[in-house]
Amino acid sequence: MMERASNFISNNRRYIPVLATAILAFSAYGIGAIYFEGLRNPQVFLNLFRNSSYLLISAIGMTFVILSGGIDLSVSGIVVLTTVVSAALLRAGWNPWAVILLVIAMGMTMGVVMGSFIVYLKVQPFIATLAGMWFARGMCFFISDNAIEINHPTFKILGQTRLLIPGLKELADKQGIPAPYISIPVVVGFVILIAAVFLAHFTRFGRTVYAIGGNQQSARLMGLPVNRTLLLVYTFNGFCSVMAGLAFALFVSSGHGLYAPGFELDVIASVVIGGTLLTGGSGYVIGTLFGVMVLAITQALIQFIGSLSSWWTKIVIGVLMLIFIGVQAWLTNRKGGRRASLDAQAYRRPRQRLALVAGVLLTIIVLAIIFIPRLITPSAGSTPVSDQCEVKPFRKDEAASLIADGAVVAYHRLAGPNCIDEMYAIYPDGRVVGDNGTSQVEANKDPAALTSMLMTIRDEYGWFTDEIVDTYHVPCRQCYAHYVIIVHDGQEKGTTAVDGGVSMPPGYGYTLAVIRNFLPVMPPAP
Amino acid sequence: MNKPANFSRTWKKITENRIFFPLVLFLLILFFDFLFIPGFFNIENRDGNLYGSLIDILRNGSVVSLLAIGMTLVIATGGIDLSVGAVMAISASVAGILMNPSALKNEVFFVTDPTYTFQPLWVVICVALFVAILCGLWNGMLVAYMKIQPMVATLILMIAGRGIAQLITNGLRVQITYRPFSVIGQGWFILPFSLYIVLFMLLATWLFTRRTAIGMFIESVGINFRSSFFSGVKEKNIKLLVYIICGLTAGIAGLVASSNIRTSDANNIGLFTELDAILAVVIGGTSMSGGRFSLVASVIGAMVMQAVTQSMYAIGVPAFALQAIKAVVVILVILLFSEQARNFIRSLGSKKQEV
Repeated sequence: MMERASNFISNNRRYIPVLATAILAFSAYGIGAIYFEGLRNPQVFLNLFRNSSYLLISAIGMTFVILSGGIDLSVSGIVVLTTVVSAALLRAGWNPWAVILLVIAMGMTMGVVMGSFIVYLKVQPFIATLAGMWFARGMCFFISDNAIEINHPTFKILGQTRLLIPGLKELADKQGIPAPYISIPVVVGFVILIAAVFLAHFTRFGRTVYAIGGNQQSARLMGLPVNRTLLLVYTFNGFCSVMAGLAFALFVSSGHGLYAPGFELDVIASVVIGGTLLTGGSGYVIGTLFGVMVLAITQALIQFIGSLSSWWTKIVIGVLMLIFIGVQAWLTNRKGGRRASLDAQAYRRPRQRLALVAGVLLTIIVLAIIFIPRLITPSAGSTPVSDQCEVKPFRKDEAASLIADGAVVAYHRLAGPNCIDEMYAIYPDGRVVGDNGTSQVEANKDPAALTSMLMTIRDEYGWFTDEIVDTYHVPCRQCYAHYVIIVHDGQEKGTTAVDGGVSMPPGYGYTLAVIRNFLPVMPPAP
Repeated sequence: MNKPANFSRTWKKITENRIFFPLVLFLLILFFDFLFIPGFFNIENRDGNLYGSLIDILRNGSVVSLLAIGMTLVIATGGIDLSVGAVMAISASVAGILMNPSALKNEVFFVTDPTYTFQPLWVVICVALFVAILCGLWNGMLVAYMKIQPMVATLILMIAGRGIAQLITNGLRVQITYRPFSVIGQGWFILPFSLYIVLFMLLATWLFTRRTAIGMFIESVGINFRSSFFSGVKEKNIKLLVYIICGLTAGIAGLVASSNIRTSDANNIGLFTELDAILAVVIGGTSMSGGRFSLVASVIGAMVMQAVTQSMYAIGVPAFALQAIKAVVVILVILLFSEQARNFIRSLGSKKQEV
């Protein structure tokens, strides 16, 4: 029986990583669904796909690149360049379909160029695509410094059309819940997925990709068109990146060069977790779908658990990658045959193995000593009240009207542990007025101190320079969202930011600190 | 007859020196600055300290130089360390939290007292560097003992590292107001203090690798780890060692970077610097497949990257758009450094002999 199981494992070794990922994805969802009623909602399940459609599309292209033994770091660059170019062209009044065709051509051209560098000039894929990413991200800022909104009706239709799923609609009607739906990018993603599965496993091109990934030298000696295939692989990935960029543009309906930081790492992680060997030559395109699902479910679970912050996603992804890479390293080392076992005899002495185990244990223990106190401290102090905070949009008009009334500083603060909503105004004569919706406070400060504060904000913190830009995103559960307008010397500038470290410029933090020194104490809101 | 032969021999000697190509590149960029940017070479003397664009290049290039020192050794063994940016963030976060632990109280609490610190400075630096060394140890373990491809093994920490850094600071930017810490990145003793750190690390690593057999072991592992194993070099320990050194230099770089902006920002410190460091090593002429290395050439390579950045700023290219230009420069440099181009330049000397 044991022997049979072991035979089965060695005969089907290739499928183990894919199966493991699939099982992981479904069991993670299943366990989540047991604990959280919200996850059982079919719409929440479909949202996993809606929210990660661009990740799926991009990961499919990346699968081919990694299967061929290369890597492409330029995906996030092409994604943001697509959002910026399409937003800029739509703003200039272009036909949306022409825009889509143009950006697809642009992405494929970038793929061809990077591919030629790799194939013909023998530049390492890592470096060539890295230069590609820098180029693409840099170009975004030649086009526009600020985010460009996309409000073309065609893009709205593409992004917001709800596609009902035939079987599920009747089921939902029976239970009396709104019919679950998916979006057009999800369908596009699955169409590309099916095409990619066909391409990888049923065509000459796909077999060549696997052969190149297995051993490029032998593939060349076998007379396979290595150069052409590699070029096609990078072109296909350029196409996928652009499609992902379009899906992303529909998702956020705007374009900016700083979007999607570190997106290429998510893409690579989902391909690896999907069971594709990073050295190339082994893996399945369908595994990438499961890898993307694992990432999406991890994110959803962390959101549902609530007390865990978003950075746990990165740690979980890292651990998952470690496990998958470790298992694959073990599987590859196992099949090495006689030569590998000879090597193993020479390399692996029992003492060294002992040292390894001791070392790993030591590392884990030390890391635990460092991190466990951190984990315990915040949870003791936090209150469950904060979990239900709905962050409202900034009341920018109200702040602007305060400025129009003669205030030099208008400061709107939202969210935070107690879910506040406070508006402050500081007038040139030192009068400070605050309002949190239920009560008002007023204080008088020294006007000279106010002037020197404004000078400091202008000169030392560079409030009116380009360093201070809008960096708003959805705040974490303990974070405040800020909107500050400052008027000084005929200059007026209002920007948004969020605590919690994602991108707030340093000068903004210092400015908030000195403004806060000026504010009267606000009685807690009910 | 004698003279040209002599010339060609000297020319060959010069061009075969590893520092030649990066240095020529550096001087070319400075020459460009000399032609197009008035006042680029002005150096001001303020209270005995020197300021100016040239000094800025040296100062701002110090972070990448530090990383390049560690990265050179890793690349020389045929590896690569993608996690240095994340390790920088981790060490900066540890340092930040030890000096200003208020971030753990779930609030943004600004300490404005420049003499306040939770732990003394030496504890802060030691603990931060110790954690950085642990990160290096982790990478080294995966690469040397688990036999995972270096790029893959360090990718794990690259992804998880920023999460860990945010975990340490509870996801907040920790403001560092403690004055003595800011000396690391902002202090000046005639020249910027960070420059002395680079020089010290360069000297220490150079002595460590070139005045002992370790440098040779590293090169032999990079050229062929199997044959170096069979000739008695403990290749696993060598690999472990280089990743630990790389972790240490990344930790120091993290301290310099956080001291520079007086903030420990888990999300942005060291973002994309791993790529800068690798490119600095490539410009320095160390082959990505391992083998011979030159620490000085890598540091000059880092300065080349910084010189490009600084010149573009001086011309008035906006910070973000700069990346596009950097990409073009990088590709040009790599093409220029390809074997064909090198051989062409070397042949300039020998052609003279034929004529």
